[in-house]
Amino acid sequence: MSKDLPTAVQIKNLTKIFPLPFRKEKVVAVDNLSLSVKPGEVYGLIGPNGSGKSTTMKVLLGLISATSGSSTVFGMSSTETASRGSVGFLPENPYFYKYLTGAETIAFYGKLCGLKRKAIKERTSELLNLVELEGARDRRLAGYSKGMLQRIGLAQALVGRPKLVVLDEPTAGVDPAGSRKIRDLIMQLKEQGITVILSSHLLEQVQEVCDRVGIIFEGKLVREGSLKKLIEIEDQTEIVLENAGSDLLKKISDLVNQESGVNLVRSGRPRTTLETLFLKETGGDSKDARNDS
Amino acid sequence: MTVENNKSIDNELNSKFKLFSLSRVMAIAMNTFTQLVRMKVFYFLLIFSVLIIGANVLFLNFTFEQELKILQDVSFGAMTLFASIFSIVGTALLIPKDIEDRTLYSILTKPVPRFEYLVGKLLGILFLVAVSLLLMSILFFAVLFVRQHGILAEEINQMRGQPSQEQISSLREDIFAQGLRLELINGVVAVFLKAAVAAAIALVVSTFASSTLFTIIVSLVIYFIGHAQSMALDYYFPEGDMHGALQRFIAGIVAIIFPNLQIFNVVDGIVSGQSVPMSLMFRLTGLTGFYLFIYSFVSWVIFAKKEL
Repeated sequence: MSKDLPTAVQIKNLTKIFPLPFRKEKVVAVDNLSLSVKPGEVYGLIGPNGSGKSTTMKVLLGLISATSGSSTVFGMSSTETASRGSVGFLPENPYFYKYLTGAETIAFYGKLCGLKRKAIKERTSELLNLVELEGARDRRLAGYSKGMLQRIGLAQALVGRPKLVVLDEPTAGVDPAGSRKIRDLIMQLKEQGITVILSSHLLEQVQEVCDRVGIIFEGKLVREGSLKKLIEIEDQTEIVLENAGSDLLKKISDLVNQESGVNLVRSGRPRTTLETLFLKETGGDSKDARNDS
Repeated sequence: MTVENNKSIDNELNSKFKLFSLSRVMAIAMNTFTQLVRMKVFYFLLIFSVLIIGANVLFLNFTFEQELKILQDVSFGAMTLFASIFSIVGTALLIPKDIEDRTLYSILTKPVPRFEYLVGKLLGILFLVAVSLLLMSILFFAVLFVRQHGILAEEINQMRGQPSQEQISSLREDIFAQGLRLELINGVVAVFLKAAVAAAIALVVSTFASSTLFTIIVSLVIYFIGHAQSMALDYYFPEGDMHGALQRFIAGIVAIIFPNLQIFNVVDGIVSGQSVPMSLMFRLTGLTGFYLFIYSFVSWVIFAKKEL
């Protein structure tokens, strides 16, 4: 699938300047930014608040226009409405029509994507199952929790079978179990060969799911590359042993000390993450998940 | 899900993107209609019922001509008020709210041109106004029908002796001429057309406004100026005095920014028993079509470049 497709996203020398009302100054939100995302890749866009992540995404989705530079989605300029046919978007803190039920919400977005009645029915059931909201399909969104709203948001983003999914802070305000569900869904998308652009403040999550990462700071792309390459410490080697006794550890330490120029930086017990501990202690369940049924 | 089903869905999704799709517009229109219905706007029917029943009860001691006229005045007045409120407030409430809540993001990041979104919203509001006017008309006509028969029976009872068939026919003719008649439908249509222009005004304002309140206030100001526009033009450019091209140009610009809404007020004449020529109804329909087109176009020009 991936081989036949052109570059999923190509952003070239993108600059976006916002004029300030009644003032001469201007805000440079994105400054000559270039990046490309390959088909089937999960790309993480990280950076502090106000660094230009959301602006870049908005240009890519045609919500705002670039001051200069260009952006394309599968070879088509993102200023063309047709380019949105292959894109699914989950905005940060998504607001949908609260008076619609979960099933009606997906059906509405399905119609906007050009699906016919029969296809909408099938797609709605399929997506509600995927995001584990089948039990809440006839409940109005006004009664959904934050995590459920994020998942229905993900379902609407996927209704048009997009080749590219753009997720802006998909786990913001969601509890660890809900967050894990969304992360699992991203992994499923990856397995299906769908390209994902993910913007998140949760660096651990980005680290878990992304193939490549771009770091934006003050509108500029300051680092970009394969996650493995970016985070590995090139002059250090890690050995993790199971059931190793103190004698063995002493032998290893002595062996290391015999080598000139080699230092044992640290040794001790590896730690689990707080998230893993939380999920273990709470049975991996969440209030959201219980609400679904 | 079967492979065949997947293929059929893929075919629908991969079919060539259409610059204008009626089904997308209708999806947005029906969604807008549903939104307003679920906001329980139809509760206004209770107020409308109280108003027309109240008009009946309060004016029982009047002559039948006055009673029927008051009933029609109150009903048309309430219909105009509700239709205008729905048009302006409905439009002002929904579009800025979509922008504020960022619901618009999830719509416009689907293959939906901005023009379709605006047309869909406008159609949804107009659909709601049409349904509310239909319901109010049914209620109004039913009350009028019952009342005119009640008045006839009361008038016959008050006649001295046994009235002749001719007297009864003449009385029926007099009462029914001021009661339920086809002419009233023209009045309802005129109320709808005026509300449609008001909705289009609110649509333009909402595309550049920063809030719902601003949209409502500006739209109401234009709405009220629209009722006084013809008087102002007559004052500054008395008939027969509009010779210069500049005067005509200014008058044209004023007429586009502030549509002459007074021209839609045909209900006063209808209630007084005058007939409305069909040529006027066609003219009003054409004028409404013109304003809807112009205002939708202007809305699109502003909205197409709007940074969201």
